[in-house]
Parts: sequence; structure tokens; C-alpha cells
Amino acid sequence: MAAETPTETQPRTDETEREGPLARWTQGVISDPDRRKLLYRALFYVITLFFLVTTLFPFYWLLVLALTPNSLILAGDWDLPFLRPQGFNPEAFVEVFQQIPFHLYVFNSFVLATATTIIVIVIASLAGYVFGRLSFPGRGPLMLAILMVSYFPPAAFLIPLFEAFTGNVIVIPFLGIPLFEPPRLVNTPGSMVLPFSALFLPLSIFILTTFYAQIPDGLEDAARVEGTTRLGALFRVIMPLSAPGVATAAVLTFIAVYNEYFFSSIMALGNEPQQWSPLVGGLLQYQSLYSTEFNLMAAASIVGVLPVVILVVVAQERIVSGLTAGALKE
Amino acid sequence: MAAETDESGPTRETRRSGPLVAITRWMENLGETGFAYLLLTPVFVLLGAIALYPLLRTLELSLYTNIIGVGEPEFVGLDHYVSLFTGASDPWLPGTSAFLWGDVTLSSTFPFIHVEGLLRSALAVTLIFTLVSVFFETIIGFGQALVLDQEFRGRSWVRVAIIIPWAIPIVIQGMIFYLMFHPSTGFATEYLGAWGIVAETNTLNDPFSSLLIVTVADIWKTSAFMALLILAGLQSIDRSLYDVARVAGASRWQQFKLITFPLILPTLGVAILFRTIDAMRVYGLIDSVSSCTVVPSLSCMVVATFGSQRGLASAIAFVTAIIIGIAVLGVIYQQYKEGI
Repeated sequence: MAAETPTETQPRTDETEREGPLARWTQGVISDPDRRKLLYRALFYVITLFFLVTTLFPFYWLLVLALTPNSLILAGDWDLPFLRPQGFNPEAFVEVFQQIPFHLYVFNSFVLATATTIIVIVIASLAGYVFGRLSFPGRGPLMLAILMVSYFPPAAFLIPLFEAFTGNVIVIPFLGIPLFEPPRLVNTPGSMVLPFSALFLPLSIFILTTFYAQIPDGLEDAARVEGTTRLGALFRVIMPLSAPGVATAAVLTFIAVYNEYFFSSIMALGNEPQQWSPLVGGLLQYQSLYSTEFNLMAAASIVGVLPVVILVVVAQERIVSGLTAGALKE
Repeated sequence: MAAETDESGPTRETRRSGPLVAITRWMENLGETGFAYLLLTPVFVLLGAIALYPLLRTLELSLYTNIIGVGEPEFVGLDHYVSLFTGASDPWLPGTSAFLWGDVTLSSTFPFIHVEGLLRSALAVTLIFTLVSVFFETIIGFGQALVLDQEFRGRSWVRVAIIIPWAIPIVIQGMIFYLMFHPSTGFATEYLGAWGIVAETNTLNDPFSSLLIVTVADIWKTSAFMALLILAGLQSIDRSLYDVARVAGASRWQQFKLITFPLILPTLGVAILFRTIDAMRVYGLIDSVSSCTVVPSLSCMVVATFGSQRGLASAIAFVTAIIIGIAVLGVIYQQYKEGI
């Protein structure tokens, strides 16, 4: 309040007279519920706007860079604080595929993400059925063990996996007994799909466990009476009935693989599309080989971001429910 | 295929036989426990080969010195672990990085603690990055969750906008911030440099500036994840509690302090642990915004050294695993308490 340190001797009534307009307004807000509501409303919109601007501004910045011709980017005359494209050069979005075969990188990303998603959904469905619908000794500890594995850093798995994928003999740790010589997997989809599947499997297992557990026993029994096997009941009755759960797990796995950096950048030894290098490789190629083509870097980023943005807009309910179910398990 | 000699007694499901039918019948006759473990076999195989085996093998490799291209691996015991903390292995680490800080100094001149030494330490950089980013992600995520918890027109679009950064590839996140601070394109250096927040020239090669940029980039991307978890917690709170509080004359702040916050606390704890575990793995963001020589994180050091000194790299990888493992134990304990 504006009235600062009124001397003790003054009567209280003087206080209001000595207040400025801000203090009077504050007083009004405190005493009047309608004005208070209005203030809350205004504050709410300001905060919402702030969050919108901070989350979306970086994408606007990419668009500005992509549309500005590269010579003008280098000139660096940004006309701050109202950042806007200097010129209009949509050809960057064509050039981005000509300078390097960027579409091949995106294609590789799609292939890797799809393959991983299929593997994860099949394996996680089996596990989800077991954890969600069967009771057996060791269920709790096994779930905890699977949970634990998913948290370890990829860096802790990298070195032995890299050795194995470059064709070195696998030996039993600490015993030194050679097992077999694996095929050379680096530069093939296998070297990425295998680690991705293992890393992203646990989340899908937890999502599907929650969903499969909710299907009433009666439906499964009915299918069994009709003569299907237990596995048949899983794939013909339980999975279709849990379609939202399966979609959630699939969308989250797809996004996770599409976004992965660690193994994607290491297991393809060069950043060449022929070596199954995904999106990461394409963008790093621009960053290292065409390090002054800033408009193309921005255009490539926009192209790379579009598939996930579409996926998020279409599947936002699934993503939200999946993330919270996977992490909190209600 | 069409052999009619079906001897398996009462379970006469089909007249055909053959390996597939035999396997199906065998599976159907398994007990619940046997069936459960059979269906879990693919999980065991995959996680065993891609997670458990590498983890044990990393531990084994870390006990040997293995300089690529020079002789046979030689058993050295825990030497690598010791040398990481004494600084004896620094020559192997890229740039001017050390594992533990050597020269953090305190003095009366601003900014009092001189962090140059700290910022060359992989351990310190990882912990600073984790603490700062998780702290701000929690606060911003809480704010976003409170906004999304309200009813208003366009709520689902605001939610999409807030989730989108979470969903974009790390390499593109890195590219955005790389372009913002690159000397030839960036507009941000000019402003922030003038205020002394980041280095005015060569921003992306300055350890302090780069760490700050990487941290901000992480906060920008992953606050949404926090927001979604906290939002789920907020929406599970019984709304009638607020009605009671309002009748009792509680102010909004009191409602928040006495109802929302205590009820959201367990969710908040889980969310913070999740983010901590994730933040300590940071690698891709650093690699694409700056470089591992400027901002050395633990994962960075593993990638930077495994092509030259595999034993040392394994030791760093295992230390990383142990540190993250401690946070993991927290999560496991939480899950265990809730009864999985």
C-alpha cells in the first residue's frame, strides 16, 4: 500500500485520505468480489498468453529464418523487437530436398519408428496381458525390474552394444566364455530398432497393462467358450476392445523413436541416408557440411517438425492420457 | 498333416494335427504361471540382450584398460574410477574437461564463486543442469497445469500449443537454439549479451553461456511434460473439497495452500523424480546446440571417449548408471509403496 509508515500518533481515519490511486484500486479489489473476479480473469489471460508466446515463438523464429533469403540472414538486420521475415523466399522448402536428399532421412525415420512401434506393440501386448489379467508368483518384482531397466541411461548400454553391432564376439560378462559372433548391424535398421524397442518397451507395457486389466473377464470367457485359444482371445477380443490404449502406446512409441537422438546419431556411422541415418543425420549434415545455409537449416527443421505436430494435434487426447497413465498409473 | 490318430484324450479341439496345433495345445494346457512366463519370454530376451547384458559388460569393461588400436586389454581393477576423481584421466577427456572441479574459487569480487573450474567438470555440469532445469520445469509446469485446469474457450488448443515443444525431436530443439545464438543469425545474443547474461561474442563456445542456453532449451521443451503430470494430479482432486472450503470462507490462496498443494504433492514428487532421471541423461541437446567439449555432461564424456579409451568410457558410463540408479531407487520405492 502507498501509505508508508503512518506515525503512531495519527488517527486511523487519516490513512485512507493519504492513499494514492493504486492503493484505492487495491482496496477496491480486496473488498469488491466482482472486481476481484475481473482481476483474476485478466491475470489468467495474461499468463495464458505468456505461455502461448513462449512455447510458440521458437517455431515462429524458424519460419522467419526459412522465409528470409540467406544473404539477408547473414546481413543480420532483424528489425527488433518485431521480428519478421526479411523478404519472402518459399523456395527454401524445395531447396532443402535438393541440397541433400532430406526426404530419404525423413523416410528412414518413418521406417525405424514404424518398425519399432510394431515390435513394441506386439511384445508389450503379451506382457500387458500377463501383468493385467493373470496372477502369478513374481508379478510385482518383475514389473519393478522392467520399470528399472527403462530408466537406465542409454550411455550405460552403448559400449557393449556398439561392440556387438560392429560384429565382435559376444562373451558372457566376467566368465569370458564366448557365445557367438553377431552379424554386423551398424548402418542397418537393426542397430537402431533393437535398442529403441528395449528402451521404449516398458512405457507401452505399463499403458497396455492398465487398459487390458479393465476388460471384463466375461468377455474373454465368452471368446474362450467359442473355442479360441488364450492368445486368440488376446488378439481378437482384448486388443480390439482396448483400441484406445493400443493407439496411445503406438503414438507415444512412434514419437519417442522419431525424436530419439543418442542411438540415432551413433549407430549410423556416417550421416548418410544409405546408412539408415534418420532425421538426426540429415539435420547434423546441414549443421556441419552446409554450415552457412541457415535458411535451409530452418526449413529442414520445419519439415522435420511437421509430422509430429500433426500427430500431436490429431492424437492429443491419447498422448495426454498415455503420458499420465504411464507415469502415474492412477 | 491329416493324420487321424488323435490320442490326446479329452481335449479334442480339432481333428488336424501338426507342429502348430501341437504347440497351441501345449500352450493351452499350461498352468497360469507357466503361461505367464511363456508370454513374457520376448520381454526377457529383448531386455536381457539390450539392457542387462550391456550393463554387466560395461562393468566388466570398466575394469580393463582398453586403448583402441594399442595392444590387448589389461586388467587394472578400479583404477579408472579412481583416476576419474583424481584427475589422472583428464588427458583422455575432450577439451579442457575434468571430472571433478579443480579450481573453484571463492572471492569477494562479483560473482563471488568463480565457476570456470566447475563448468569443466562433467559431474558438476550434469548435476547443475539437472537441478536448475528440473526446478524451473516444476514451477513453469505447475503454472501451465493451473492454466489448463481452468474451463475456458479454446482450452484444447492451448493444450496442443503447450504440448508441441515436448513432442519435437531433440535435434530440432537443438537447431532452434543453435540458430538463435549463432553469431551470424542469432538475434538473441545482441540483447542478452548487452545485459551480460551471455557472452557477447562466440556465445556457443563459452561454457557458461552454452550451459545456460542448453538449460533454457530443456526447460522450454519439457515443462509441458511436467504440466501434463501435474494436471492429471489436479484433476483427480475431489472438487467438492473446494465447495466446502468456499462455504467455510477460505480465500483462493488458502484453498491452494490447504487443499491443492498437499493433495498434489505425491504426484509432484513422482514427476520430479521422472524428470530428474531423464535430465541426467542429457546428450543430444548439448551435441546439437554447442559441443561436448564446451558443455561436458556425463553421457557426452562416454560418447567422446569410447572411440579411444574404451575402459575409461565404460567407467564413466557405469558411474552415470549408478548416479541415475539412485534416483531410480526413489521411483521404485514410490511404486512399491503404492503397491504395483
